[in-house]
Amino acid sequence: MTNKSTNSTGQVHHLRRMAVVWVIASIIGDILFSIFVAPHVPPGRLTETAAKDQTDFNILFEMALPVLFGVWIYLSYALYFWGDKRNSDVAFSGDAARSNMKTQVSWMVITSVTVLFLAGFGTWALVVDHGSGGGQGPNPAFTPSGSLKAETAALLGKATWSPGSKNILPVQVIGQQWKFTYRYPTFGGFESSQLYLPADTTIAFNVTSLDVIHSFWAYQLGVKADANPQVNDVAFTTTKDPGSFIVRCSELCGIWHGAMYNNGAVLSQSAFENWATTTEAANAANTALLPAFAWTYVPDANGAAGGYYPDGTLTPYSPSEVYGSKQPS
Amino acid sequence: MTISDERSTEVSGPVSGHPHNTRKLSWTQRPGLLSQNLLTAIVFGVIGYLIGHWFGNYLASGYSYIANSGQNSIANTLALAFGVVGWLGGIGALNYPFAKLFGVDGLEEESPVDNWSKYFRYSLDHKIVGLQYVVGVLLFMFTGGLLAMAIRTELLNPTTHIFSPDVYIKIVSEHGTIMMMMATSIIVGPLGNYFVPLMIGARRMAFPRIEALSFWIFTAGYMVIFSALPYGGFPTGWTGYAPLQTQAGPGMVSYLLGFAVIGLGMILAGFNQAVTIINYRAPGMTWSRVPVFVWSILATAALLTLATPVLFAGGLFGLLDKTVQTAFYVDEHGGSSYLWQNLFWFFGHPEVYIMALPGFGIAGELLPVFCRRPLFAYKVSAAGMIGVALLSFFVWQHHLFQSGINPDMRPLFMLTTELISIPTGFIYLVGMGTLYRAKIRFELPMLFVLALFFNFLIGGVTGVFLSDVPVNVTVHGGFFVLSHFHYTIMGGLLFAFMAGLYYWLPKMTGKMMNKKIGKVHFWLMFVFFNLTFFPMFIIGLLGQPRRVFTYATNLQGLNDFSSISAFILGFSFLVFFFNLVYSMWIKPEVAPANPWESLGLEWQTATPVPSYNFERIPVIMTEPYRYSEEGAPAFADFGPKDAPDSPTHTMA
Amino acid sequence: MSNSAIQSGQPSLSNEEREYEMRALISSIWTGGRLFIGIYTFMLASLVFSYFYLRSSDTGLLWRPDHVTAPRAFGFLIFGLSLVTGLLAYVGRKRLVMGSFQDFSVAAWSGVVTGLIALLLQIIELSHLSFYPGSSGYASTFIGFAVMNIVSLVISAYWLETTVARGMRIRREVEGENPEFSSNPRARAFRADVAAMSYFQVFLTLAGALLFAMFYLM
Ligand code: HEM
Ligand SMILES: [Cu+2]
Ligand SMILES: [Cu+2]
Repeated sequence: MTNKSTNSTGQVHHLRRMAVVWVIASIIGDILFSIFVAPHVPPGRLTETAAKDQTDFNILFEMALPVLFGVWIYLSYALYFWGDKRNSDVAFSGDAARSNMKTQVSWMVITSVTVLFLAGFGTWALVVDHGSGGGQGPNPAFTPSGSLKAETAALLGKATWSPGSKNILPVQVIGQQWKFTYRYPTFGGFESSQLYLPADTTIAFNVTSLDVIHSFWAYQLGVKADANPQVNDVAFTTTKDPGSFIVRCSELCGIWHGAMYNNGAVLSQSAFENWATTTEAANAANTALLPAFAWTYVPDANGAAGGYYPDGTLTPYSPSEVYGSKQPS
Repeated sequence: MTISDERSTEVSGPVSGHPHNTRKLSWTQRPGLLSQNLLTAIVFGVIGYLIGHWFGNYLASGYSYIANSGQNSIANTLALAFGVVGWLGGIGALNYPFAKLFGVDGLEEESPVDNWSKYFRYSLDHKIVGLQYVVGVLLFMFTGGLLAMAIRTELLNPTTHIFSPDVYIKIVSEHGTIMMMMATSIIVGPLGNYFVPLMIGARRMAFPRIEALSFWIFTAGYMVIFSALPYGGFPTGWTGYAPLQTQAGPGMVSYLLGFAVIGLGMILAGFNQAVTIINYRAPGMTWSRVPVFVWSILATAALLTLATPVLFAGGLFGLLDKTVQTAFYVDEHGGSSYLWQNLFWFFGHPEVYIMALPGFGIAGELLPVFCRRPLFAYKVSAAGMIGVALLSFFVWQHHLFQSGINPDMRPLFMLTTELISIPTGFIYLVGMGTLYRAKIRFELPMLFVLALFFNFLIGGVTGVFLSDVPVNVTVHGGFFVLSHFHYTIMGGLLFAFMAGLYYWLPKMTGKMMNKKIGKVHFWLMFVFFNLTFFPMFIIGLLGQPRRVFTYATNLQGLNDFSSISAFILGFSFLVFFFNLVYSMWIKPEVAPANPWESLGLEWQTATPVPSYNFERIPVIMTEPYRYSEEGAPAFADFGPKDAPDSPTHTMA
Repeated sequence: MSNSAIQSGQPSLSNEEREYEMRALISSIWTGGRLFIGIYTFMLASLVFSYFYLRSSDTGLLWRPDHVTAPRAFGFLIFGLSLVTGLLAYVGRKRLVMGSFQDFSVAAWSGVVTGLIALLLQIIELSHLSFYPGSSGYASTFIGFAVMNIVSLVISAYWLETTVARGMRIRREVEGENPEFSSNPRARAFRADVAAMSYFQVFLTLAGALLFAMFYLM
């Protein structure tokens, strides 16, 4: 068979053989993946966001598999048939093999089209899914409708949410070394170390930090947003059915970074309301001692959080002047 | 140039023969107690360190809350900085810059010591520097590798711990930083310095002193970064994010200064390589005849010189924050922790291509030799490397998709990142095209090159996953990323380095590496590399963040699998070291002049390579890689043995 | 900048080959000079970026409270002196090209002196600041600027000094040759070095003007 490959028909022959194997392998591979693996791919389908992230991953994988197979099949074929021992009698036509316009151009066109498609698809997914659960900074670019209203209301202490209200629920995530706590502005701004969310509700996570950078990763929700001091990093998700999830810190934040995790749950709407109102009442005394709800909490530059000039008079600008009022969103 | 054109027949070139110009061998170069070598470097380094430490404490003595606190960053910084200067002075790197103040121009160089001790000295011969670099990077790699073993040991069990969380995070940080620093030089340093001049037909480097300086700075940087451990380590990982950076203890100074020092070495190395390649190509070596390995080094040099200054500046600002208490990265005082992330990644992404392009170069260089046919689409491969280099300056925020920095720019950075895979894909076009109907010889270097294509494919495809913002939400900051860049750096660059060593060591040392042991090394390394890192993709997808000492108990199976594979992977390096020792010293086997039947210029000169590389300047006659053509003209014309018009020997 | 490790015992080359290497050496100095400017640009650009980044983010309204400014008198003096240094380097090179080594060396030595004075002033200025390094974003970037300026001034003075010193030595050692005309390789390399040097000095002056405006005028 190999001695035939010295003429030009032989070339076509090789590629055709590989192509056949490739098409079959890719189709089988993709089908098997879609049936057996795709439904279980993280982050699962607990929220709309997670479900869409999962779909994106699966589409990417279904495109990647043919690429991997293509190269692998080509390599195996080449190593098997074009090894030194096997085709010792072959003589090669020098210059013709240095380049081949058709191959080169089609390679470039195919890769470019694929890549541009991927970028377009990723952008589309990012926009329609309101940032895909990723942290979008203090002024999110891709928002669900009504989020600005809900967030403004939260800051003014006027946010409302009740079962069936369809309102967006703002939740604040505060990272600190080495735990996450959560404040619910809709319920008097109480702070809890448990994260409970109502089902079928769009949540606006407002993520900030008191010290170093953390990252709020609510795995099954498909949410990840860095917690930066002095920054309100907003991420959206829409919950579906009740279920539990795990929260981990995914940005190195010091010694106990590895131990910075806790569990949360999506509850039915009434169960959530029940939990929120009882906790609000139970925590009322503590809530009164907390700083007023704000998007960020600035450590005291006079030393409480490690100010640089211990003999107080040296701090030239009193932080209370600057941070007295709540910051605009 | 007209005068000189006319006169050039009268004067005798760079070395003028005026007798009163030939200086005597200076005492620094003479063999004997007073000469400068590694020992003097160590002594001067220690002295510098002590002086710096004293001086820093003296400066800070007025500030009662830092003085004698053991946390005096000023003392630590100055100690390390003076130590570096002492080291460089001790090895002799500062003699010439100092002599320049008195008008010495260095065009004439006394011949240095020529015995085994030259390997322990400041040498201007790029071959010696190349060999010094081989030892340097292997040392680096060995240190980093040991730390990796420690990491995998801790991760054997999610609940029983071998290290305290504190120690563990220091190990991880030190491992990452050492490896990243090592990887920037692993090919440019040893193989680039040794072979670029040989491959372009040059008899020297453009700036041999800068080249030598880059090596000795590299070693100094290694010690500085290593000093973090005795100082108590640093907790930030190799990315050094503020405010953790600001909060961290004295080990952080070693990180910041270490990166600045290594960065300086990288800039100098790239500078010398770029200038050499641009100006010292032999006559006839047009840009379309330059070997691809040289192209890759040129593209890398562009990144080394232009991206690294940003790291240098970023490190400097960090040091200022630590020492004189500026607030570059301190939000509470008008700085911004985002600033560090931007500066770091503006350097950081080009950096990852500094760690990829030389590997592509080696693959492109070796494939034709072992396929016995020309490189397919030569121009495309050069274009690909330049394209990657250019684009890599425009993608840095893909590391910051979830950070809240410029969220509206995410589509743009997603696009630029994915665009990079087009020129990266060129490399696969070239590789696969070259394999087409080839006559593949499965020699050791070729096996490593093939492995590179296998590994880097996985690394590159997962890179596309990472660049997709919705998918990035799940995979960012987890083991998926970890696995991705190990596939590109270790699976790509390190395999390329091994290919390069097996391929070129016969030229560098005149001895062949043992093939049998080499095969054992290759198969262990290839199989267990994949078995170590592939599970990490799954571990990452299942929710394990990076840099953690504990994890969900259901992931223990995968983690243990990965750990055990990692130990065998580590063992494969011992096999390599054994092979090195065995083939070089225990049972050396003399290498044939051109063991791989390569047409490359580097194989056409004598072994061991004379200090002047080529007797005459070679003239390049044709394109490289004309393997499959019978009767193709020789790549280069080496000229008659004795130049007819050469004047009588004038040099002492 | 030019280095050459030419060791004894190597075979001799034809004159044509020597000239080939000599030209490679000269053009390396040219390329190296330009590449060095590139490197330096990226380093200074990091500072410029930091300045505008902190300025536009104005974290906690602490970019520059009360519009604090480093002492302007120092700023004008330092910048003025480095401007003079740059000009002297430029003019000196022009004069050298026109054939006057004398003028070049006068200009260069004066440039070294003005440069060193600027350096001294830059260091003294650091003890006359009206703000603490960590008191604001501006204050921090200003310290960064001062440090980089010190580095620039040292490089500038060093490069100027080494070129004149080199020219003078060539005059002394290469009999009957003037470095401005001679085709002696050392003289040719010297002229290339001066060219790269003056180019770099002009670059530093221009970059310095931008930084001066950012830190003292804006
Ligand atoms: C097709 C080519 C590539 C693409 C599309 C790509 C994409 C990415 C992306 C998007 C990230 C950020 C992941 C995250 O943190 O969320 C990343 C991380 C990383 N990549 Fe790549 N990459 C490519 C090639 C490379 C190469 C060649 C190297 C090194 C030789 C490399 C080394 C790294 C490293 C070290 C990180 C981790 C940074 C950290 O968080 O510590 N990548 N890559
Ligand atoms: Cu954390
Ligand atoms: Cu990147």
